[in-house]
Amino acid sequence: MNLTVVYVTVGTTKFDALINAMTSTPVLHALQKLKCKKLVLQHGNSTPVADSEIQLIHEKYSIQVDQYKFRPNVEDIRTANVIIGHAGAGTCMDILNNGKAGLIVINDELMDNHQMELARQLASEQYLYYCKVDEISIKIASLDFGALRPYEPATENMQTFMAALNELMRH
Amino acid sequence: MCSNKKPAEPIYVILGSGGHTAEMCKINQALMQHDELKQYQNIRYIVANSDETSQKKMRSALPALKDSDFIRVPRSRSVGQSWLTSIFTTLWALLWSCWLIWRDRPQLVLCNGPGTCVPYCYAAYLWRLLGRLPGHSKIVFVESYCRVETLSLSGRLLLPLVDMFVVHWPALATRYGHKPNLRYFGRIL
Repeated sequence: MNLTVVYVTVGTTKFDALINAMTSTPVLHALQKLKCKKLVLQHGNSTPVADSEIQLIHEKYSIQVDQYKFRPNVEDIRTANVIIGHAGAGTCMDILNNGKAGLIVINDELMDNHQMELARQLASEQYLYYCKVDEISIKIASLDFGALRPYEPATENMQTFMAALNELMRH
Repeated sequence: MCSNKKPAEPIYVILGSGGHTAEMCKINQALMQHDELKQYQNIRYIVANSDETSQKKMRSALPALKDSDFIRVPRSRSVGQSWLTSIFTTLWALLWSCWLIWRDRPQLVLCNGPGTCVPYCYAAYLWRLLGRLPGHSKIVFVESYCRVETLSLSGRLLLPLVDMFVVHWPALATRYGHKPNLRYFGRIL
């Protein structure tokens, strides 16, 4: 699978480690190998990447880096081949509901973050991948993003719930 | 069941911010599709005064809704509000929930986890105990989809009193499997 456009999103969190990792040599190498042309960084409250560095990345890896703090990101999600993000429920659902390949990165600085539970559960069902910050380059190089399962609404389960609700309301 | 001449008691659906509302939209779409007995026609949506998006989201999910289907209520606590003033605003919100539930006598209070839903469930429970609500009225709580291993605060507060408590994931289903009101249908979203 080509990673022509990679979208990185941290929501409203501060996740410097992810932003730094995404612009580190091993990750950029891995991205270049998979023909990445564009890296979009939604950095939220993390420190943005310096303009000089963006310039350098473009020269060295011919990867164009776009970054911004916040903006409506429907278009960013739609155009991305792969989404790399924090473990927020919103980010997980954006990945699944848009049928995108996703890699969730654990933020070690947020301990006891229950949202990690959701990412781990969804990964165990092969809807997305998750990893630690220092594994990103290896994961990008080795993961088969095409092997992820498409996520579909669980209509049957919802119907069972509705039947149970009807049953409850009868008594 | 209720006769057709008399309008059925309403259903209260409690809306909250962001993800909660998105999930409730899907639950309500399913509710409309599975409403063979036409018992879920009279739904009132409870929305906090300060919540600008929930009503819009719900109306775009269910275009047949009217503005009058929504009841605006004071919010118990806004993000960043001081502790002292939030005591008063919480009490005020609590009084409102008690008054609305007393007035409308909902046959079902359906909610999925925003903090606003807690006083409505307690009020319904209380008024049912005191005979103001019909004995067959029900309180149903759907835990947030992102709760996989632990319950939310709203969930922990409401598990002891709701008639049906729905979780999405196997770990919670196992952990609370001994609770008779807990139900697990697999993920429903």
